Amino acid sequence: MSDRIATIKKAIVEGKHTEIETMVREAIGDKTDLDILINEALIGAMDIVGKMFAAGEIFVPEMLVSAATMKKGLALIKPLLTGDGPQSKGAILILTVKGDLHDIGKNLVTIMLEGAGFNVLDLGVDLSAEKVISKVEELKPDILALSALLTTTMPEMEKVIKALESRGLRDGVKVMVGGAPVDSKFADKIGADGYGKDAGEAVQLAKTFLHLS
Amino acid sequence: MKSTPFNLVMSALYNGKKGARPPAGNATSIVCHDLMDASGVSFPQAHVDANAMAELALAGHETIGFDTVMPEYSVHQEAAALGCEVDWGSRDQMPDSRNFPYADFSDVVVPENILEKPSMRVVLDAISILRRHVGGKAAIVGKVMGPWTLAYHMAGTQNLLLHVGLGEKDKINKMLRRLMPVTTAFARAQFQAGADIVVLADHATGNLVGPYHYKEYLLPIHQEMTATIEGPLILHVCGNCTDRLELFADAGFDGYHFEWQVDAKAAVERIGHRMCLVGNVNNAQTLFQGSPEDVRKQARYAVEAGVSIIAPECAIPLSTPMDNLKALVAAVHEGY
Repeated sequence: MSDRIATIKKAIVEGKHTEIETMVREAIGDKTDLDILINEALIGAMDIVGKMFAAGEIFVPEMLVSAATMKKGLALIKPLLTGDGPQSKGAILILTVKGDLHDIGKNLVTIMLEGAGFNVLDLGVDLSAEKVISKVEELKPDILALSALLTTTMPEMEKVIKALESRGLRDGVKVMVGGAPVDSKFADKIGADGYGKDAGEAVQLAKTFLHLS
Repeated sequence: MKSTPFNLVMSALYNGKKGARPPAGNATSIVCHDLMDASGVSFPQAHVDANAMAELALAGHETIGFDTVMPEYSVHQEAAALGCEVDWGSRDQMPDSRNFPYADFSDVVVPENILEKPSMRVVLDAISILRRHVGGKAAIVGKVMGPWTLAYHMAGTQNLLLHVGLGEKDKINKMLRRLMPVTTAFARAQFQAGADIVVLADHATGNLVGPYHYKEYLLPIHQEMTATIEGPLILHVCGNCTDRLELFADAGFDGYHFEWQVDAKAAVERIGHRMCLVGNVNNAQTLFQGSPEDVRKQARYAVEAGVSIIAPECAIPLSTPMDNLKALVAAVHEGY
């Protein structure tokens, strides 16, 4: 059984998207523990992918294919899970702020957070502060992740945080910020809880926020 | 050699005679709100009207003191001509495309009269206007998007990168090869219109792809283009490209415009003898949020490292204080 876990993990790291479904079906057929399959093979693989990306050994193309491979495997496992599904580590809302259409960074962070076992709802791009607040009120996420690629849209992040404060929602959600022009100094200045310079740091930050590491 | 702006830039381009001071140049946009206010010309008008485009570029030289004039401010001129729906933005927002017409990697149709499309024509006309104003006095810098950047616009950045990851080499190479003539034709036309130098921006950035991706897909194409486009070319690639500097030199470009993440001393040591280095004052933290003294320090670091043309690292944030741009210029006026 541990061979099957190791093989699936390696296949995801290597982006073997055409072989993964056969491998996962065989593991399921062998009555592999599904939680172990998800946590060790799938999430474990994406953890390695994140580290390789941070180390500059792989780049976005490889990360995208590994994520697609993982998702194919997960799609076969999910319908078999009893109860509420895999134990989510936490609920995260992610978006790009108003006036900003850039999404690739946000999408990579989403991939890595999902890969790490978080439940992520991507609200898309160009979200106004009012829209963000209404979603936070409705969905009560553990973490709100804000992305901006432009210096002109960075101030929107502060608007969102101030709006959370004025609606009495600030204490109920951790806010992380990221994007090319953002840095930790800016994050501190606007009252965010943390800054991640890349997808890997975002995952670490999320785990820290929720006392998972 | 007289230390005129034109002479300083053109000599620096080939690591030639030094004048009284290093040149301050811009390979990317230096337009900010302060410059729009000072010149009376604003976005989006300056993206679509040749006189406005030229006027704003001229202001970069006459008001701030850069030794170059560079009239293209967005990255969407070719994309618009190739069928993207481009929103030319506003005073506060740079242009952006709303669609990816070749997301399915079908054959890109390049119009025969592409150089006559409004978004291309406006740049060529602006360059000609600038030639009449500052020809021989300030260096006129054109700009074109390379095939990789155009492929992002045609197929979508994430979509292209996914196909790279999936090893879809034929699809990607076919698209790049169909786009390459657009870059080549526009660069040639800009020289003919009066540009002294053309910046070729191709965003195979270190934040997105690896040096092996550049080597596989783009290096052969860049080598072909640099061999056939007469006229000086400066490559612009954003992000931390420390791991691929020698490849850019191998590509045959005359210069490389680089970001703050690449250490100036290391860049000069590794490729300064093969290419003119242009850069690399930080935008977000220094030019936008820093003080004139912060800007001066970074500019002097680049001068002392041996960077040939001192410049911001990339298109500047629109709210950059003009005083910070002037501080960059003042830093080069301190001499070597």
